[in-house]
Amino acid sequence: MALFINVLTQVCITLVAVCGIYVLTGLTGMFSLGSAAFMAIGAYASGLITIKLGLPIIVSFILAILMAVVVGFVIGLPVVKLRRDYISLVTLGFGESIAQLLIQMNYLTGGANGLLGIPRKVKWPIALASAIVSITLVAMFKRSKYGRQCIAVKSDELAAEAMGIDSSRIKMIAFLLSCALTAFAGCLYSFYMGYVDPGIFGWKKSADWVIMVFFGGVNSLTGSIFGATILSALPQFMRSLRDYRYVVYAVMVVLIINFKPNGLLGEWELTPTHIKETFKKIKNKFNRNSKES
Amino acid sequence: MSLQILVNGIATGSVYALIAIGFALVFNILKFSNFSYGATMTVSAFTAYFLVASKGFGLIPTLLVSATAGAIVSLFGEFVGFRRILLNNSPTTYFFVSSITLATLYEGLVTIKVGASFFRYPDFFSVSTLNFAGTVISKSDIIMFIISAIALGILAVIIQKTRIGRALRAVSFDREAAQLMGINSTLIIQITFVLSGIFAGLAGCFLGIKYTLTPTLGSLVVKGFISSVIGGLGSLVGAVVGAMLLGIAEAICLKIFGSGWATIVTFAIMLLFLLIRPQGIAGSNVQEKA
Repeated sequence: MALFINVLTQVCITLVAVCGIYVLTGLTGMFSLGSAAFMAIGAYASGLITIKLGLPIIVSFILAILMAVVVGFVIGLPVVKLRRDYISLVTLGFGESIAQLLIQMNYLTGGANGLLGIPRKVKWPIALASAIVSITLVAMFKRSKYGRQCIAVKSDELAAEAMGIDSSRIKMIAFLLSCALTAFAGCLYSFYMGYVDPGIFGWKKSADWVIMVFFGGVNSLTGSIFGATILSALPQFMRSLRDYRYVVYAVMVVLIINFKPNGLLGEWELTPTHIKETFKKIKNKFNRNSKES
Repeated sequence: MSLQILVNGIATGSVYALIAIGFALVFNILKFSNFSYGATMTVSAFTAYFLVASKGFGLIPTLLVSATAGAIVSLFGEFVGFRRILLNNSPTTYFFVSSITLATLYEGLVTIKVGASFFRYPDFFSVSTLNFAGTVISKSDIIMFIISAIALGILAVIIQKTRIGRALRAVSFDREAAQLMGINSTLIIQITFVLSGIFAGLAGCFLGIKYTLTPTLGSLVVKGFISSVIGGLGSLVGAVVGAMLLGIAEAICLKIFGSGWATIVTFAIMLLFLLIRPQGIAGSNVQEKA
């Protein structure tokens, strides 16, 4: 039971982060290989504010997220006007720099040993609630004007501009929302684990998240959530295979990209209309089969 | 003293140039950032270590094996990761994810083989440094510089003077038109990946000599990315110039701020560059086709 609750909490925290990645990658078509760095900012900032300043947790969460958004704005400013490749290159460099910075500022962050003594206040109900809130938020964002503009920018930037969409502004909004969500996941993480160290926030983590989004279906929020749940829960139950985990992941994703490029769920979403359509399809198939036989 | 910094900078820069050029080659032709490049370096450096260097062979066989391994891995990546996507005319994002996935795959395989332990190439030279008018130059740095220069020279000749090079330039300019002109673009793309893999192998081997061999060696590819951003994405000359500048800038930062801060300062330099001159030094900004 304890294992199950542990896995549930970790999956929920990952889900919050993956929501952020979905906004960036799934909706807007940008790739960040430094999302984990924003998670690091969230984790360290909230932990430090609570430990050193003694502010309540809610305040430290809000301050940490604000800080991540401000940093994201500085990073995003030169990048959103350029080709999308730049955002991955820049965030990759940013991620590596943040890891270095955390090690260098050891009088504040504890250096490579990590930051210890964060109160373990986040339990599974909070994590679950945060995951649900984040998913709802992103689902609403997708349905809003901004979400539709994001999708337009993703499919064809030039055409979107011609329709009067300010594509750099939309890219920036998506990027900042994604930063805020990943930073939030970082806050949850540090207050769940009780300590953080710079080692876990490398580009590998960001790449992991992108892979999760693609696994379930890059165009569908349901798919991304589904992929993230499966890919982050499975390895927790198969501890002995830890080294092989990345290889198995990679092989699966290569297969999916090659043979089912839209991911497992494609464009399918968990909404009443989509469910009805699916039922209709299944029914039709069933009827046809019974007629033929 | 300043001469020492310059020498160190050029030595580092010549390795960065190898990384940047292999990356730029693929970027040039398929217009996407190949993130599996770093892991290719790791794989080839380790292959060379286990097959040759640990058995006591010299520098040249190690380099050759490393380059061959890089070429094979890179070709494998093209076949597994990019061929079908290219034929499906999928959007660039899929190349991207594919390359990230391949990077995870390679790194995972290396981790399974070696764990998290460190390895060192044996010392290839009996006397490791030369003293030259008060400046200390390590022999391996000189060799690296010479080999990098030769490799880059050969690449320049291939691209500018041969039929393959002309075809390569044509395909990178417009793949479909080149295909219509009777150029076998699949073959040209394969050749590009082989070339890029050779550079990955050389760079991986040099990084292994300069630092230590770990499964995360490939993350040094960031330097190559930064170099090509400074030089201008997709420009080969720009990549080399950017790499040299980055190497020298890093050596200066190392002197002033110490080793930990150098990474951060170089990143700040890159951000500044993007703000002021996003098209890079060479000024060839590859724009997405509408």
